[in-house]
Amino acid sequence: MSEWQPRILAILCNWCSYAGADLAGVSRIQYPPNIRVVRVPCSGRVDPLFILKSLQAGFDGVLVSGCHPGDCHYISGNYVARRRFAILKPLLEFVGIEPDRVQFSWISAGEGERFATVVTKVVEDVRKLGPSKRIVKKA
Amino acid sequence: MISGEEERMDAAGIPYMIRPGKGPEGSVLDLLGQLIGSGGADALLLPFRVPSGDSFAWIMFSDVSLLKDAVPFPATMPVQGGRALRSLTRKEKGKLRIIALMRPCEIRAGMELSKLGQVNTENLILASYDCPGAVKLEDYVADPVSCDSAHSEMRSRGEPSGNARSACSTCVDFSMVDADIHFGYFGIKDGGMLVLPGSPAGRALLEGLNLEEGRGLLPQWEAEISRLAERRAATREETFRETAERISGFDGMLATFSNCIGCHNCQSACPICYCRLCYFDSEVSRTDPEALITAAEKRGGISIPPDRIMFHTGRLAHMSLSCVSCGQCSDACPVSIPVADVFSFVAERTQRAFDYKSGRSDGEALPLRRFLKNELDGVHEMVKDAESEASPNE
Ligand code: SF4
Ligand code: SF4
Repeated sequence: MSEWQPRILAILCNWCSYAGADLAGVSRIQYPPNIRVVRVPCSGRVDPLFILKSLQAGFDGVLVSGCHPGDCHYISGNYVARRRFAILKPLLEFVGIEPDRVQFSWISAGEGERFATVVTKVVEDVRKLGPSKRIVKKA
Repeated sequence: MISGEEERMDAAGIPYMIRPGKGPEGSVLDLLGQLIGSGGADALLLPFRVPSGDSFAWIMFSDVSLLKDAVPFPATMPVQGGRALRSLTRKEKGKLRIIALMRPCEIRAGMELSKLGQVNTENLILASYDCPGAVKLEDYVADPVSCDSAHSEMRSRGEPSGNARSACSTCVDFSMVDADIHFGYFGIKDGGMLVLPGSPAGRALLEGLNLEEGRGLLPQWEAEISRLAERRAATREETFRETAERISGFDGMLATFSNCIGCHNCQSACPICYCRLCYFDSEVSRTDPEALITAAEKRGGISIPPDRIMFHTGRLAHMSLSCVSCGQCSDACPVSIPVADVFSFVAERTQRAFDYKSGRSDGEALPLRRFLKNELDGVHEMVKDAESEASPNE
């Protein structure tokens, strides 16, 4: 029997983190196959609802990644995203979602290695937590 | 609160007073009539009793003979005034110069909507008054007569009573807010009233009226407002403590909203939720039947429809920064869920995180419209861990 594998949704910004993921692939850096990637123009595009909806749809964890501070292609999208996540994070904890299920990071286009490290860490964190039972509650 | 008021008063000019006689309601209506008469404004926006007698509606009018039927301090709040302001000015500044008399929380909602580009305050004169709280809509519709007398009792004591909304018992912004004119009557003996300019526009209007200077009444009014504010702050703390306990953890949140029927009344009544089509009413928000089956298989069973907690959490994430804690959501809820208690509690925390307070003057940018380059490191703390782990490889 295959054991349970966490499923993580990675929401990556087009200009930095998605390119970082690409670089990881091109450089043949190994990372766990547990992520599904959604590309967005900017981490500033990520509405808190995307994260809630992913959890509700059955993902066990969500990773949102954008450009490093100061490097946003749209100048300040990632700073605004950071503020948004600052509101969402305590809220998620309030409704009982373990903080490690939803993580945020900055990964640049040149950081293929780092992309692999971050993904590995998120997958391991979520694996420790086990399958997500939240948002959609057990009857 | 009081020191802020003093600053504003200094900026806006001296307070005026109206002598006892007609009582606060009569005096307010008189004064509004004079303002229209003197050409200071083109029209008024005031609550009137609806023909069925069990509610109030916002009426915009310029014929001062209608004033006698207006109800300046209605017992209940059927339509949040912020919404009325939005209807009038959502496209551009109003063509008419309108004076709107509203509760402090309605004006604060108007301020938030203005920051969100939904209200244009340029041609509006906003007038607020000392608010003892609003009676629950449900109670009012059931028995308007006794609710009216309960509300006049509340006005004379300056405090919410039994059938007031919970949001009002915990409201600390029930007096002067960032309005152009404020009518202060709590703690002033024999039905006298203070008329306080809150902005240069308000001052300019009042200067033309030959009102009596009112500094003498300030101390008793201020003392009473701070006494009442302290009492409401205590109730607020207590209510927040109970709310925190009640909603904490997924099970607490689920229990609180377990009888939610998903009608979304709380969202439709909210003055801040202005989207024409809410995500939660849209097709994309509905979970695919396939996905429901998969989830049910995985978990042994799920509740259908599955979106209750998601709806409330999503709305909190979207609008808690602008929530003015007016209590409309609780009033609109057909199954008596304390929606406003939860929202106020969360709103206070999210707003505090950005050193923001909803409903303050127009000039202040919304927290999501500004940022600091170095802040909120904790949000990405995981990155730091990853960095230190990554460094040996680099
Ligand atoms: S929340 Fe209640 S007491 Fe406070 S201003 Fe609004 S109606 Fe008045
Ligand atoms: S008004 Fe009450 S029942 Fe309706 S959606 Fe809101 S909380 Fe649920």
